[in-house]
Amino acid sequence: MNSPRVELKDVWKRLQRRTEVTTLAELLYGLPRRLFQRPDEDGLRPHQFWALRNISFALEPGETLGIIGPNGAGKSSILKLLFRIFRPDRGSVRAQGRVTGLIELGAGFHPMLPARDNVFIYGSILGMSQREIRAKFDSIVEFAELPEFMDMPVKNYSSGMHARLSFAIAAHADPDVLLVDEVLAVGDASFQARCHDWIERRRKQGCSIVIVSHQMHVIQSATRCMYLNRGESLVIDAPRPVIDRYLRDQAERLQDSEAPASDRTGITHVEMLDERGEPIHELTAGTPVTLRVHWNFAEPVSGPVVTLDLLHDDPRYLISTPGGNLAQLSSGDALAGETAVGNGVFDVKIASLQLPIGQYRVNAAVKAHDAFIAAERCEDALRFEVRRPPDSASHALLELPQRWSIAQPTEAGAPPKP
Amino acid sequence: MKAARDLRELIGYRELIGVLARREIRARYRYSLLGAGWAVALPVSLMLIFSVVFSRVANFQTGGIPYPVFAYAGLLPWQLHAGILTGGARSLTDNTVLVTKVYFAREVLPLSRVVAALFDFLIASVVLAGLMVWYGITPGPGAALLPLVLLMQLSFGVGLAMFIAGANLLYRDVQYVLQVGITVWMFASSVVYPLPRQGALGWIGYFNPITPILDTYRALLLGAPAPHMGQLAAAVAISAATPIAAWLWFRRVERRFGELA
Repeated sequence: MNSPRVELKDVWKRLQRRTEVTTLAELLYGLPRRLFQRPDEDGLRPHQFWALRNISFALEPGETLGIIGPNGAGKSSILKLLFRIFRPDRGSVRAQGRVTGLIELGAGFHPMLPARDNVFIYGSILGMSQREIRAKFDSIVEFAELPEFMDMPVKNYSSGMHARLSFAIAAHADPDVLLVDEVLAVGDASFQARCHDWIERRRKQGCSIVIVSHQMHVIQSATRCMYLNRGESLVIDAPRPVIDRYLRDQAERLQDSEAPASDRTGITHVEMLDERGEPIHELTAGTPVTLRVHWNFAEPVSGPVVTLDLLHDDPRYLISTPGGNLAQLSSGDALAGETAVGNGVFDVKIASLQLPIGQYRVNAAVKAHDAFIAAERCEDALRFEVRRPPDSASHALLELPQRWSIAQPTEAGAPPKP
Repeated sequence: MKAARDLRELIGYRELIGVLARREIRARYRYSLLGAGWAVALPVSLMLIFSVVFSRVANFQTGGIPYPVFAYAGLLPWQLHAGILTGGARSLTDNTVLVTKVYFAREVLPLSRVVAALFDFLIASVVLAGLMVWYGITPGPGAALLPLVLLMQLSFGVGLAMFIAGANLLYRDVQYVLQVGITVWMFASSVVYPLPRQGALGWIGYFNPITPILDTYRALLLGAPAPHMGQLAAAVAISAATPIAAWLWFRRVERRFGELA
């Protein structure tokens, strides 16, 4: 019988909020209580909770499962179960072949030892033999792009170098099952892109991958996606609908928790409005929109210059600009004669928002026209998504508004008049 | 059988045990002034102190062996034992990142500390060889059996290291209890003086394998009186049983390490 590469069947996992007994003294002191205390009907003792409830899924070779969910949903617990760091309390977990977990990059690095030694240590921890590591050493160094730093103790490495070295080692472990936690969020954009290319290549070679991420473009490239909330799997489906549902839930939660604007000073938030003035969080490229910056300034800002940076969620778009923004809107001198104080909004109308499809964040900043430094700034003031038009047949990131025509020369050799 | 499969898995990790032991040793000696000399410094200084103190206050029946050699031949394997215990105790708690973020057989961590302690032991043995040359002591043919005694000591140590490593992860004050325990244990064993084998204190040697182990080392190497055979038999049994019992226990608690570390 052919069984799947990875299989979780009705898995329940119990965890402690805090460890009840951590010393011998506490053990002796608490012994009578523990002896008479029975778990409640849910099978839980005090301070315990179900980190995962009734999780089931199976993965074939060449499949990627993306897991999304709010913090504390149990995403990492699933990876730890697959990696045998946790054992299930009920149900069964199976993973065949070499399982490599990138739950923490460089776990086991000794900071005092040179990178060269650490390659052998970390490689060995990930299950490679010394001979295997020796054979792959040059390739690892090349992948990490750190040939001149191999004799430096890793305590002197920057976090980016640390991530590059450890990923390069892990990348050579030839896993059958690869578990990736948010770890790849460190390192620069080109490194991240290279990591994701490598993961995709491994998948095509038949590796089964489980990946946890808050970056939607990463999840989007999975073959399936699980939405996890409070230890329960709400849905497993193709990534698109699952991501949509998750983002909708997140947006609702954000609105519920938003403090009243009057309590906060500075730029409180940014809204995106459609033509009817209704707030929206998703649109197709080319739609007319208004971005509304809500503010509450205690000190007057004279001649405000408002800047909105639009950042794409896919780090590959961060490479070229220092701010990492894909697009920028700036009021320049448009508000030069004005003074902003108290409550109010800045509106900027965009006749046609031409942006590549994807998830966006907006960072807003306001400065007085003669100042160098922004008086107020607000990171992540708005999130929105640009989607492909429903009737689109193209796979391009951006469809430009276009009108086609044809003209033919009336006389031989003469170019057509525009 | 499950235990057999786990044991095979553990044997598969033998290279990792060596790598982690080497990591331990290199990191310890790389940035220290004396380097590997530290392995020698502790047993040598203890030997000097006890030689000075005991030459004034007591006169032990060492069977004609010069006291410094007698003491060092006890302190050397005792330091190995103490090193296994202290290193083993912290092997899991020093490496919580490995325990909570990477999977491999957890026994690897205490076992690698045993290997690192053994390395120190081998370096410090050079001093014993030097002392024997100095005092003109030649070991008899029985010295060929020394590796068997070492094996017995390591077997006992491996079991205790696994047990203490697990216990210290579960209850963090175990390492403080251990500090006291090691000191008491040293003076309850024939480390720096011979212990009476008969009478009121004779029974201790049946429960403490360290005394007959040290007595055997001295007998084989220095020609000291042979160990008490009853004690030695008990020590063989305890040394063989300890790692088995400790491992069975370790496998049971090891399932929760990832949550506790």
